[in-house]
Amino acid sequence: MLLSLFAIHGLGIVCSALAGRRSMKSGLIAAAVAPAITATWAAISLSRGDSPAIFEFAWVSDLDLVFRFRSDGLALLMALLVAGIGALVFYYATGYFKADAPGGNRFPATLLAFSVSMLGLVLADSIWTFFIFWEFTSITSFLLVGHKHEDAKVRMAARRALLITGSGGLVLLAGLVVLAQELGTTNLSELSPVSGTAASVAAVLILIGAATKSAQVPFHVWLPGAMAAPTPVSAYLHSATMVKAGVLLVAVVGPAFAEIEAWKVAGLLFGITSMIWGAVGALRHRDAKLILAWGTVSQLGLLLTLLSFGSAKATYAAVAMLFAHALFKATLFLIVGEIDIRTGTRDVSELGGLAAKMPIAFISATAAGLSMMGAPPLVGFMTKEAAIEAALGLSGLDQAVGVTAITVGSVLTVAYTVRFLMTVFGPGPDIAVLPRRAAMTIPAAVLGASGFAGFVFVDAVSSIVGNAAVELNTEANVYKLIPWPGLTLAFIVSLAILTIGGLFGAVLSRRTTAAPPRSVGADLADVAIDGVLAGAPRFISRVQHGSLPAYLATMGFAASSAAVPFVWAMSLDHLTLWDSPIQAVLAAGIVATAVAGAFVESRLGAALTLGAIGIGVSGLFVIQGAPDLVLTQLLVETVIVVGFVLGLGQLARRFPPVSEAWKAVRIVVSLVGGLAVMVGLVASASKPAGEAPIESLTIAAVEEGGGKNVVNVILTDLRALDTLGEVVVLATVAIGILALARVRKTESMV
Amino acid sequence: MTNSHSPIAEMSIRAATPLALLISAYLLFAGHNNPGGGFAAGLVLGAVVTLRTLAGLQEPTYATALLVSGVLIVIVVAIAPLLWGDPLLDMAVISIRAPILGTIKSGSALPFDVGVTAIVVGLIVALLDGLSDPETSDPAGRGNLERNS
Repeated sequence: MLLSLFAIHGLGIVCSALAGRRSMKSGLIAAAVAPAITATWAAISLSRGDSPAIFEFAWVSDLDLVFRFRSDGLALLMALLVAGIGALVFYYATGYFKADAPGGNRFPATLLAFSVSMLGLVLADSIWTFFIFWEFTSITSFLLVGHKHEDAKVRMAARRALLITGSGGLVLLAGLVVLAQELGTTNLSELSPVSGTAASVAAVLILIGAATKSAQVPFHVWLPGAMAAPTPVSAYLHSATMVKAGVLLVAVVGPAFAEIEAWKVAGLLFGITSMIWGAVGALRHRDAKLILAWGTVSQLGLLLTLLSFGSAKATYAAVAMLFAHALFKATLFLIVGEIDIRTGTRDVSELGGLAAKMPIAFISATAAGLSMMGAPPLVGFMTKEAAIEAALGLSGLDQAVGVTAITVGSVLTVAYTVRFLMTVFGPGPDIAVLPRRAAMTIPAAVLGASGFAGFVFVDAVSSIVGNAAVELNTEANVYKLIPWPGLTLAFIVSLAILTIGGLFGAVLSRRTTAAPPRSVGADLADVAIDGVLAGAPRFISRVQHGSLPAYLATMGFAASSAAVPFVWAMSLDHLTLWDSPIQAVLAAGIVATAVAGAFVESRLGAALTLGAIGIGVSGLFVIQGAPDLVLTQLLVETVIVVGFVLGLGQLARRFPPVSEAWKAVRIVVSLVGGLAVMVGLVASASKPAGEAPIESLTIAAVEEGGGKNVVNVILTDLRALDTLGEVVVLATVAIGILALARVRKTESMV
Repeated sequence: MTNSHSPIAEMSIRAATPLALLISAYLLFAGHNNPGGGFAAGLVLGAVVTLRTLAGLQEPTYATALLVSGVLIVIVVAIAPLLWGDPLLDMAVISIRAPILGTIKSGSALPFDVGVTAIVVGLIVALLDGLSDPETSDPAGRGNLERNS
């Protein structure tokens, strides 16, 4: 079943890309099918309470590299959100975009590719599967943010989003590698608590990765910029699904880090800072979409805070909040998109009086907004109650921190929500409004109403959330969402939050906010990125300086240093002076020629000394009785010398003068190179591996290869694969030479 | 190639060419049982081409053709055994009784060696082509480079 979901999505991507060539609208409709099917499947599985389906495909089983998916309660809930909101967003986009909007061949297919990446992420049950889909969502998000790529600002925003989430992905990878080592398994449903320094490092790394994805302060700077994306993308990726991936990761691996203090402290730091700073940001901005984006930073901070406390009740509350947030925040985004299209602006200081002109949107937005504030009778109320209850249920310092943070964060949340609703829908300038488009109104209304439906069918929601939370914390199944708690302490806190926040928001909405400040963080990120881009050419021009002698010296030195480990493997036990005295004579000749070669000033002379050395070496082969080597060596030397004669014809007769310092460097590199070869030879002779297998090779050569020349049979038969590789290298080198020659000839012709 | 032609060098290279070709062919076939083989044969051929280029008797051409055909031959010989269910690069041995020559024993190692030879010669020709002086060479070009571009 799980595999067929992915197959359906793959098919959908192809179909929507093809249909999108005709028009944006047909592409979007084609793309909506796969999420609709998936959402139906998830809803049916949830309502039947199916036991988890598992799909596993081992790729490299020895390394535990498997694709593994598991549809447990949490995965199903997330899949329902991803696919359900996805289908609605595709439908909504048919209204948002003009039917013949440009980019129809790529936008629907890319959005569906994101959808399936997210589906893979929530269903993943292996650390590596999870990570792969995590990266897919970053890439598709980049493409979607950059949809209007003609605009330089949009490109900047997309780049910032990709680089921040992408670097976070690398940090996460490092953390996951350490975690997998510590756990001894990559199976996400078999996590056991780990402890120790390595585990703490893994915890912090994973948390940083999660914070970049879930736009936690100080990595949140990409999220407001990502609002440059078309609104369906913002509603889908940057409020309901992708930004939840970080929180989901924290939730899923949380049980493994239950005993690690750093995990909790860092999580609370990220979470509480983001919760407060995000809400402050939402109060400062005038662009309705940015208000919501900053609100998302704040809400994700709340989720992270709850998960970091790690108590069963807080985990339950976090899962419930996650569910509620996806519903109300997506609704609000869809409505902002509708307002944008119908009025032509998103600036709340220019908006107003839309309650009468856009009544359906007003009702949906109010329902969603009240749910976000935590007012009854909506699902957001119950989840906010659960969060406060969870904070009150903590003990000691945790309780004080939790209650304070959640109260302050919630007051601010209420304030920015009230401000948003009042400035947009309350009394204000009389503005022209375009006629309603059903495709935009209906999805927002459905999502908005779902907040109320969730309150009415509280038992169903409660058990679904419970089944999901129990995957994270086995003790979480005792909790329930309560529609009407009576006069509990949490309820009183809730009422206080609503009153104070409401008053605060009402006051703020009367004031016209000055133009919001530029985002310092985003500017800093851009400066850093630009700095790297500007520094790269300078760095490259240092490393790739274009001087061939310097390249050769560098490579020679680096290659020689590979001999260092062999120094310790040298021993003189097995070394003999010579097998026959003629070797000494030849060796003396070779050494003398080599020394002479170093002092020869003419290029031709140097080439000839090289040839002489080669011929001397082949003399050594003669003494060892290796005619094949002799033949090859002599032929190679001949060709090289003749080639030198040919090539030197174009160069000056003598070597150009070099500076003393450079000369010294070259002497050092040469000596090191010579020493390295010597060390390698001595080391390899120091450990004789018994008798050479001449006997067996000879028999093998005759029987298998049918030839008496053992060397050649080895080359062409017994170890033909090596030869194949070598000749392919030769051919590659030759192609490189041809390409170089072509460049030179083209240049000389110009 | 060279500006000053030496008639002696030119004549001797001309005379040596068929001999060298014969040696090259001998090395190619002898390789299985005696010193020699595809690599050595290629080097001898390469040396012939180099000398002839040096003496201005020919241009270094057909490098690409030599390389491509060499790689193709080698790869076909490598993969062909898979078609018969044998492992990669398994070499077949065949014996033919021919009149006059007696029994000829050969196998798929021979085409493999031919491929190696072609690649080695191709490499040397490519080197010669790269080293040749663009000023003196014909800009219209009979070389493989111009034909490819």
